[in-house]
Amino acid sequence: MSLLELDGVETYYGESHILEGVDLEIEEGEVVALMGRNGVGKTTTLRSILQLTPPREGSIRYRGEELVGKETHEVADAGVGWIPEDRRMFSQLTVEENVRIAVPKGSDVEAGLELAWDAFPDLEEIRDRDAGDLSGGQQQMLAIARGLVGENDLLLVDEPSEGLAPLIVEAVHDALEAVAGETTILLVEQNLPMALDLADRFYVLDHGVVVDSGDADEVSTDSERLRRHLSA
Amino acid sequence: MTGTVLAPLFVDALGEFFRPGTLSEVLLNGLSKAALYAMIASGLTLVFGLLGVLNFAHGSFTMLGAYLGGLVMVVLVGSATGDLARVLFFLVGTLVVFAAIGALGGAVEVGLIRQLYDRPPIYQILLTFGLALVLDEGARIVVAFYGLQPITDWRDALGTKPGFMAENLEVAGLTVAPLALFQIVFGVVTIGAVWLFLTRTRYGMVVRAGSEDDEMTAALGIDVNRVFTTVFALGSAVAGVAGMLLMWDPVWGASLPLAHETLLPAFVVVIVGGLGTFRGTVVAAGLVGLVDATMTWWFQNAITFTGLPEMMIFLVLVLTLIVRPQGLFGVEEVGGH
Repeated sequence: MSLLELDGVETYYGESHILEGVDLEIEEGEVVALMGRNGVGKTTTLRSILQLTPPREGSIRYRGEELVGKETHEVADAGVGWIPEDRRMFSQLTVEENVRIAVPKGSDVEAGLELAWDAFPDLEEIRDRDAGDLSGGQQQMLAIARGLVGENDLLLVDEPSEGLAPLIVEAVHDALEAVAGETTILLVEQNLPMALDLADRFYVLDHGVVVDSGDADEVSTDSERLRRHLSA
Repeated sequence: MTGTVLAPLFVDALGEFFRPGTLSEVLLNGLSKAALYAMIASGLTLVFGLLGVLNFAHGSFTMLGAYLGGLVMVVLVGSATGDLARVLFFLVGTLVVFAAIGALGGAVEVGLIRQLYDRPPIYQILLTFGLALVLDEGARIVVAFYGLQPITDWRDALGTKPGFMAENLEVAGLTVAPLALFQIVFGVVTIGAVWLFLTRTRYGMVVRAGSEDDEMTAALGIDVNRVFTTVFALGSAVAGVAGMLLMWDPVWGASLPLAHETLLPAFVVVIVGGLGTFRGTVVAAGLVGLVDATMTWWFQNAITFTGLPEMMIFLVLVLTLIVRPQGLFGVEEVGGH
């Protein structure tokens, strides 16, 4: 049984048909890259899994259990975490509070904080600062830390390198690589070298359907197979 | 000619206003109004910040709190009841009002408002406006049934006030109103408790997070709907408790007009402070309360022009909207939905 299975998922925004029957599977321990041009439905796929934009048709099973029809907090409770595209820090909460709130209820908060500070020592130094005052790179680290302490079995990571300086992208890559050893990841990423380096497998999405998939080491950043679907 | 006649009058009034006895009276009056406005407006702003709902029925919760609190006091207090016992019964009444109005608020959120979160804001405004009419008219029927005057204060409830709160005291040349002091202390304790809840508890942290981004909060495994209900209930309960305080105040008293008489200043406070910001609401309540008390004194003692004191707080609103449209502590975009 796969950790996550999407079967014929069709999702709409109002009358706009965004996902037109997405099928994909993720095995436990894998890093799977979901690639595609802007606006093909990558973020919508993640939102559909989280039930933030519930599909109208199709099935999403996590550990064999149907997620469609559940509330978002129930999906999260089942072990699905989200590191969203624009980080979505709670800007008026401190760095520490942003980590604290991500520790599941009933879990050891201090242990969660330790885990976050061990992974990102720079964050500990600014733990009392409002998250809204952080740089883009610091916010991304905090977003990953939040995903890390959430005790998730599956992390949905959306465009983690977007808008970051190359040096910071490298740090984000390293952080995700470390997380990948612990957690299954579905990674939406436009930065092809980073996506292919981290991923075991990939799916390519175009106009709301999966048009290609395979092992990450089957392709390279300049292969015609990927450029056909990813170039503008 | 007119100027030469009015100038000495104005100078006289100015002298009277700055007399320590007058200043202390105005200051105390202003702070007591600020405490009440802060209590009522804090619920309004919490609900708007988290749920994105402007609750036009909020004043009705204050009015119901005043009547319910008055009922508890009228039932418990007899003519032989001492002052200390009256204060203790007041605290019992506060707990009853907090629980009952909080439960009513929670039921309103679950039963009515939750159904409209996905609709445009005008639906919620119309719903809460309609709810206010239903609550006010419902209260009017009950009040009339029991032979009370709906428009004027409930005298029996006013009469349950401890004797020491009925008269102003002169202390070292300063005029001190014990009731105003009681309202200030009660308001500070209540607002302090809400502030501690928001800043020192995990649930408060969740409320602040949900006010910023309810989707992200839900994606962290938090049942945001339950948080919505709790905050709506809490805001309604605090508004009801403010009504309980007003029930003893001869300027307000338990009456049906209390619903809109408290709602309008509360809206002014929320907008001046910045929609959805608790800190802004507390500061704005202080500002509006002091302006209200100051202008009330001037219009009662120096300028006779009925209705103008109430209008002055709207002048504060207009000036704020011109100078700083997002309010004193507001951000450009707020609202949970």
